[in-house]
Amino acid sequence: MSTDSFREMKAMTGPAAEGQPARSGTNAQAPDGGTSPSAGTGTIQPAGRGKKPVRRKGLSERNRPLWMLIPGGLLMFVIIVLPLFLGIYMSALNLDQYSLRKWVSAPFIGVGNFVEALTDSPLLHSVWLSVSYSLIAMIVTLPLGIAAAVATQNRFKGRAVIRSIFLIPYVLPSFVVATVWRTMFQPNGVVDSALGTFGMDAGLWLNGPQTYWTLILVQIWASWPFIYLLALSGLQSVDHEVHEASALDGALWWNKLRYVIFPYLKGPLALAFLIGMLHHINNFTLPFVLFGVPAPADVEVLPILTYVTSFQSFRFGLSAAMAFVSLVLIAIPLFIYLCAVKLDDAETPGGKK
Amino acid sequence: MSASTTSVRGTASRGASATTFRPGSKRQHEVTRLLPVPMLAIILTVLCAIVLIPVAYIFLASVNSDIGVASGEFWPSTFSMENYTKIWSSVGLAKGLTNSVLVAGATAVVSAAMSVSIAYVLVRYQFRGRLSILRGLLALQSVPGTLMVLPVFVLFSSAASYLGVQVIGTQWGLFITYLTFAMPFSTWVMVTYLRGLPRELEEAARIDGASNLGVLVRIILPLSWPGIVVSGIFAFLLGWNDVLFASVMTRPDSQTAAVALQIFGASQEGGAIPLYGQMMAASLVCAAPVVILYLIFQRYLVGGLTAGGVK
Repeated sequence: MSTDSFREMKAMTGPAAEGQPARSGTNAQAPDGGTSPSAGTGTIQPAGRGKKPVRRKGLSERNRPLWMLIPGGLLMFVIIVLPLFLGIYMSALNLDQYSLRKWVSAPFIGVGNFVEALTDSPLLHSVWLSVSYSLIAMIVTLPLGIAAAVATQNRFKGRAVIRSIFLIPYVLPSFVVATVWRTMFQPNGVVDSALGTFGMDAGLWLNGPQTYWTLILVQIWASWPFIYLLALSGLQSVDHEVHEASALDGALWWNKLRYVIFPYLKGPLALAFLIGMLHHINNFTLPFVLFGVPAPADVEVLPILTYVTSFQSFRFGLSAAMAFVSLVLIAIPLFIYLCAVKLDDAETPGGKK
Repeated sequence: MSASTTSVRGTASRGASATTFRPGSKRQHEVTRLLPVPMLAIILTVLCAIVLIPVAYIFLASVNSDIGVASGEFWPSTFSMENYTKIWSSVGLAKGLTNSVLVAGATAVVSAAMSVSIAYVLVRYQFRGRLSILRGLLALQSVPGTLMVLPVFVLFSSAASYLGVQVIGTQWGLFITYLTFAMPFSTWVMVTYLRGLPRELEEAARIDGASNLGVLVRIILPLSWPGIVVSGIFAFLLGWNDVLFASVMTRPDSQTAAVALQIFGASQEGGAIPLYGQMMAASLVCAAPVVILYLIFQRYLVGGLTAGGVK
């Protein structure tokens, strides 16, 4: 598929190269085209002017502006890739608040941190909490999102307003969502008094074992619109003919949804499931603001545990080891996602718009 | 697909809908209907209530008295707007919002500019490692922040002790961090956007002798404003919504609004009656810019989200 577009590039350079002899007429115009853009960004590419004659010969091969990748690539290397390896190295050091400043000379203890993390810390409990809470939240948000998408697929008066409303929980910043729910879940707060009118006493939301379900509830509230969005994009890919065919057959609405429409949603929802899981497992802000640190033991999910271990207990090496374990955990859904996603759909023949 | 439609045929009786379907007519509307009207009404009402009750509560509690909120009132017994004047100094929101706007705004502009040039190269040129870069961009979006915060912190403090550059506690440290973490997604949004642009204009410009940079600045930039705005907004949101890095890497005078609110909320524990009203007022003020941005650019943002497939 890449050869196809490569051929296009060749074809594209053809006229440019052949136009070279006839360029004398447009020569006066060419410096203008070259200088004024580079005058704006002249400091970035001082070599641009010197290369010009080379470019005219083989545009696609010689003069790919790969230098444009350098600033961003450098930044991502220094701030993401380098710290990633630094983190892995730190997981083998005995680092605390005293040795952090001179971390290069901190004592090397090999896999000691990993052994401690797996045997003598709440790490495995946190892994279980993270995975189970993400899964439960995901399983509840799926039907909510699908129902919302199916309900707003057909045009009706006020649909635009409803669609905007549905996305509100998703666009509200996590720290705002958490602050608000934290207030609502206070003992004798508005949730308790609402339940009280039905004669229910739910107990403590922000302390004790029920915190686990509080976290799930808030996570569901905040993230179902994401499923809704992806389900909606799946519904929009249903051809009109399909609707006509099932109407001709007189399919009942439930059968139509079940056998005709839902198969279209499988792809987008599988994607939503993977990305949603990644987001839930990585979510730090929601539990952090909702419960504060140190968090109740029942919501000490992986990000919170990692954070508390380094910035409350100052066991930096141990925390780096925990972070590494969470990276391994993340790698599983991430790997499936990267294999499944189409990187290059526009380059396939016929896919070009 | 055809197999499943035929299975439907067996179960259902032929309705009155088997007439001609003109696009745009009422009957065509009937054809695409997915749910019966009562069902539709129930779903919409329930979902709107789930969303709107907490949202309405933010405002109602922000004009309520703290005692009223603490005793579980939904509808305030007394109305007062004074929380909105207090929060600027008590929560430190004035300082926080200034810092947030500065850092997130700068992140948005620079990230959009850099991502458009990276995406341009990735979409229009063939080179070894291109697919690896695309895949790497997707992978980097999912690297957990908690994994990165400690090493980045150590890296920055090493810069202070070995190079003499103080990054921790300044807005610069936050800016560089947000910029880097926003870049993978911003670039991905731009990649999906630029793929939809026709090549013909660029080709014409090249025949006229435009350089690579000339094509980017004169042809790509004017054509891709919607994509640039979307990728900028996502970068802005990343900076605006972050608590993790800001809580570790700021001092009181470089705090962002998110951290200011979080610290204010946490400091209310254990006192007499927490200042709930001010907390809700500050929440609303922190959410307002984001919601307004979203309402203005809703159409583009939703497209960018589903195209990128990521938050």
